[in-house]
Amino acid sequence: MIRLSGIRKAYGRTVALDGLELEIRDGEFFCLLGPSGAGKTTTLKTVAGLEQPDSGTVELDGEDMRGVEPYDRGVAMCFESYALYPHRSAYDNLASPLRSPRYRLPAAEARQRIGAIAELLGISALLDRPVGRLSNGQRQRVALGRVLVRPARAFLLDEPLSHLDAKLRQQMRAELKAIGAVQHTTTLYVTHDSVEALALGDRIGVIREGRIVQTGTREEIWYQPYDTEVARAFGRPRINLLPGVVTESGVAADGGVLLPVRARAAPGTDVLVGLRPRDITLHGEGHALTGTVYVTEVLGRSVEVTVRLGTGEQRVSLVAPRADAARLRPDDPVRLVVRPENLLLFEADRPERPGRRIETES
Amino acid sequence: MRLALRPYLLIVPALLLTCGILYPFGLGLYYTLFDFSASKPQPDMVRFENYTTVFTQEAFWNSAWVTVLYAVGAALAETVLGVAVALLLHRSTIVGRILEKILILPLMIAPVIAAIIWKLMLQPSVGVVNHLLRPFGLGGVQWTDTPTGALLSSIAVDVWVYTPFVAILALAGLRSLPASPFEAAAVDGAGWWYTFRRLTLPMLWPYVLVAVIFRFMDSLKVFDIIYALTEGGPGDATVVLQIRAYLEAIRFQRYSFGISYTIVLWAVVYLAAMVLVKHLGKIQRKAAEVTT
Amino acid sequence: MRKRALGWLGDAALILYFVFALFPIAWMVILSLKPADQLFSTYFSFSPTLDGYRTVLGDSEGIPFVRFFVNSLVVSVGAVALSLVVGLPAAYASARWRFKGSENLMFTLLSFRFAPELTVIIPLFVLYQKLGLFDTYVGMVWVLQLVTLPLIVWIMRSYFADLTPELEQAALLDGYTRKQAFFKVALPLVKPGIAAVSLLAFIFAWNNFVFPLILTSNEAQTVTVGALSFLGGDRPKYNLTAAAALVSVVPPLLLALTIQRYLVRGLSFGAVKS
Repeated sequence: MIRLSGIRKAYGRTVALDGLELEIRDGEFFCLLGPSGAGKTTTLKTVAGLEQPDSGTVELDGEDMRGVEPYDRGVAMCFESYALYPHRSAYDNLASPLRSPRYRLPAAEARQRIGAIAELLGISALLDRPVGRLSNGQRQRVALGRVLVRPARAFLLDEPLSHLDAKLRQQMRAELKAIGAVQHTTTLYVTHDSVEALALGDRIGVIREGRIVQTGTREEIWYQPYDTEVARAFGRPRINLLPGVVTESGVAADGGVLLPVRARAAPGTDVLVGLRPRDITLHGEGHALTGTVYVTEVLGRSVEVTVRLGTGEQRVSLVAPRADAARLRPDDPVRLVVRPENLLLFEADRPERPGRRIETES
Repeated sequence: MRLALRPYLLIVPALLLTCGILYPFGLGLYYTLFDFSASKPQPDMVRFENYTTVFTQEAFWNSAWVTVLYAVGAALAETVLGVAVALLLHRSTIVGRILEKILILPLMIAPVIAAIIWKLMLQPSVGVVNHLLRPFGLGGVQWTDTPTGALLSSIAVDVWVYTPFVAILALAGLRSLPASPFEAAAVDGAGWWYTFRRLTLPMLWPYVLVAVIFRFMDSLKVFDIIYALTEGGPGDATVVLQIRAYLEAIRFQRYSFGISYTIVLWAVVYLAAMVLVKHLGKIQRKAAEVTT
Repeated sequence: MRKRALGWLGDAALILYFVFALFPIAWMVILSLKPADQLFSTYFSFSPTLDGYRTVLGDSEGIPFVRFFVNSLVVSVGAVALSLVVGLPAAYASARWRFKGSENLMFTLLSFRFAPELTVIIPLFVLYQKLGLFDTYVGMVWVLQLVTLPLIVWIMRSYFADLTPELEQAALLDGYTRKQAFFKVALPLVKPGIAAVSLLAFIFAWNNFVFPLILTSNEAQTVTVGALSFLGGDRPKYNLTAAAALVSVVPPLLLALTIQRYLVRGLSFGAVKS
């Protein structure tokens, strides 16, 4: 279990962590998602003891870690830069923890352990090579191997897949969660890729400007995003955000479009209505909207269709099966169907911050 | 607590050693307020009298002038020659690649040894230089025996030793220049001169300036070369400030007065450094703009 | 066609410069091999002999040149060793933690590089005579710190700064202490830098002239001052001077050729990296 409470860390005038609160449960795979500069790496290094917070406490398994040196914390970390020792072979890199005074194993046992990890990661043939002669993907595996090679209280993984090409990334993503050690060790995984977070995280935390904005399961993050920014962070194409005004019967948007969402907000309030592209269909049950096709873009088996709603300039994107959308041409009239329960509503009256989600009644 | 202290502990030894060097410096500064000399081992406080004497002495102004001539002359000649050598080596011809390997040789020879070598070569009657010049009717040049000749000869030795220094830094600069602006210029059909003036020079300048700063400041405090080559002569023709300080403090054993000279020189070097380093910062920013 | 002519011209100019650069060295070799009676009678044709070297290395002119050579070796190695022991931790600390104390130290050291030597030496001349350090190894090693310490600290800081701190952090998480992380990870990675800067510092210490000139007289005198003493006396002994000069430049020249690759950073105090 990892618990961070009230962590503050500043470098000169730049505040990296601003009262960060985070709790990661035992054995959980937790994804921390945020843009670069949000404080993700600082969070990891604070847990590892490589950075000292200005205030706040770090607890590992209920123990306060104040004053505990990194080598006594029992956590293993995979750095974004991999931080492999360039003057040593892949084998020596993997062996490094097992030769340290803290985690020392007899040489034979260590060899066995390294062999098993190398097997697991498919790098058995590379062990004798100096790190400098490994490809990016191979280095990434060695770095991961160095983390997995010894038992740890927690794994801290800093964007371990970000430097890989798309295909390798996808493959490693699948492999990572299948590794036994990862399944039962508390893991804090940092990424800026929402697809990765959704695919891997038992729970996901969204970090922004040194604070945790929201934590939750992927369903919670997806269906109840904290604000427009969180909503926009997940899902491609991005969520449609239509400006509108709350009325007695729903939300009125530009071009005479009425969206059937009941808000706990007074009529006349400015809001944004969030509509995920995958929640809009071209036929079926639900609330119907009309518009004209603006542009279509084929994405493999499905098609992204951008539609101009009603008579206004407001556009929404949706993703439809190719069979349904193949014949659509620009300016074709089109009928869209949305299910009211899939509509999200956000504040739009506080321009200084991303609009928070407003509870809806169905 | 231990964590916060560690970096301080690591620098403590260096700090102590530094104090071991700062102490004589401070002691020297203190001595300049007295009239300490071998003939007066129990000195009296004279406050700033040593400095007022320095500044009112004609010998000081002569030395200052000689020092500036030497430093400007040497730094200028080394810069021009060094950059030229670097540009020629940068073409990486076969000849160039062979010669580059031995470029540093003069630089690694102790300046005093270099001066000895040149002293033997410049000897007017039996030196090899005059021997080689004789067929051109120039066999009788009194190299280090005329005031101008002595200054120029000293500068020549400085140039011999330190041109490789400028050339090495300039060559490193040339090799680290990004290729894309040059490719763009080549595509645009820019001529050699245009490329050199508009691209090479502005981007190279920060590297050259680092070399110039080192060379200029080092030649302000030249000692070895002149000591071995001319000992400041003939007359006072090559008495640069450090030589003057040496003569006063060690030859004539007027310690306080000699140190005053070095303190004045120190102030000059320090000021020169401030100005040049500030300029370097400006140039580096400008060069960064050219590349982007 | 024109381009090729220009290329030849460039090579010709280069060769001209290198004649200027190398002829003096070649001439010293020639002079040192001349027998005493052919010193001034001929220039390029003579019967070569090693007598000059024999005389110089046989101490037969009343100048104990071999001892000077050993002295140079001792004080230069001593100065570099002291600077390394003291300077490496400081360089590491100031590369890893930029704090006020280390920045002040760094700039004080840099100012040593540009300070006129006599500012420090003349007071030391007085001080050493009081302390009994005049003409001793200890005295020389101390004062040579002015040359070697700034160089080693500045260059090594630039090497340490180039090393991402994450390597040592990884070592900490692998279970090593900070001390072990420094010795097992940081130090091996900057080893080539240490070797290069040590050799360069050695060369500069070896080549130094003012310090031994003023702060030694005989016991701890070094080759640079020793070579100059062959020029004294009523009859100039050109062949001996040349031989002494050559002997005293051999160590720096040999070392310099081995560290070519690292010279740029060393010569520019880390301001230019290659």
